[in-house]
Amino acid sequence: MIARTLRQLALVLALALVPALVSGAWQLQWRKPEPLAPGEVRLATARMWGDKVQWVDARSRTKYERTHIPGALLLNEDEWDKLVGPFLDAWDADKTLIVYCDGGSCEASQAVAERIRTELKIGGVYVLKGGWAAWEGK
Amino acid sequence: MPFRSLAFLAAVLLLTDHGFAELKWDKPVQQFQRTPADGEIEAHFTFRNAGAAPVTIKTLRPSCGCTTAHLEKKTFAPGEAGEVVARFVFGDRKGPHRKTIEVRTDDAAAEPVLLDLRVNIHDPLTIAPALVFWKRGEPGEAKTVQLTADAAQHVRIKSVVSSNPRLPAKLETIKAGEQYVVSVTPADTVQKESAEISVLTDFPADAPRTYILHARVK
Repeated sequence: MIARTLRQLALVLALALVPALVSGAWQLQWRKPEPLAPGEVRLATARMWGDKVQWVDARSRTKYERTHIPGALLLNEDEWDKLVGPFLDAWDADKTLIVYCDGGSCEASQAVAERIRTELKIGGVYVLKGGWAAWEGK
Repeated sequence: MPFRSLAFLAAVLLLTDHGFAELKWDKPVQQFQRTPADGEIEAHFTFRNAGAAPVTIKTLRPSCGCTTAHLEKKTFAPGEAGEVVARFVFGDRKGPHRKTIEVRTDDAAAEPVLLDLRVNIHDPLTIAPALVFWKRGEPGEAKTVQLTADAAQHVRIKSVVSSNPRLPAKLETIKAGEQYVVSVTPADTVQKESAEISVLTDFPADAPRTYILHARVK
């Protein structure tokens, strides 16, 4: 009688384990960070690089003037011709450039990073994964 | 009887919810070829309500701050036509660009539609690279910039002018109207220097463009 009860208990536990394992695996997968696109860097890595980073804000002038990452330089495609001269004056060739835009589906940071690489032939240019939203912790 | 009630309920739900609301877009993907001088483009995305129920367009969400989307009205009766007017302002953009506008209607079950505007902003003069720079203490050797014009456009470079006499620029014509080289030689690389080099062209004839190259000693 006891053996039978134990067998039934074991069976119930085994049956409960299956959905638990599936759920656990799903949770782990869900929490896995989104993969980086080529040229992207995570905020945690950027923070590790510390003052070797020069931030570049690819958002609009209005958003930049409202608030930006401390020390960030404004460079966007709306005003590229006007902004690129002052950007180059402030640029430090020994620093790594990290470009950001709003985050989410914004494409401005990728476009600005690409122009820095191809038109200005400046290497060591990255895009911040998650953009401004990541910086804000959203 | 219960079956008939259920069938009636399902039919009512289908008819009153989203079953017959549908926008048919004529050209949801549009492609254009433009030059920077055009400044902007306006694309008209026309549609018709092909369903049996009115459709209300709730939101138009452009993918970029450089693009706006406009509707004359929001609700469209069955059979009624309308258009979304998308306006993309180039700013200082060049090359291929893809801007999308996400359209959501009051049919919550329907997938949002992505209107797709593809524009190639073709500049007839290619500059490679747009920056020459030296690190302080580096040998002050000449660095060059290649200017290549579209064979079809024949952009002639009239002259180059540096804003800083310590970073003078010299123009060499390889093939008039097609290929030029600008060389910049710093006086020395002891201190930080900065120059903008104006490249004066004859194109387009009615308002000739000036391109800017950058030279720095960092």
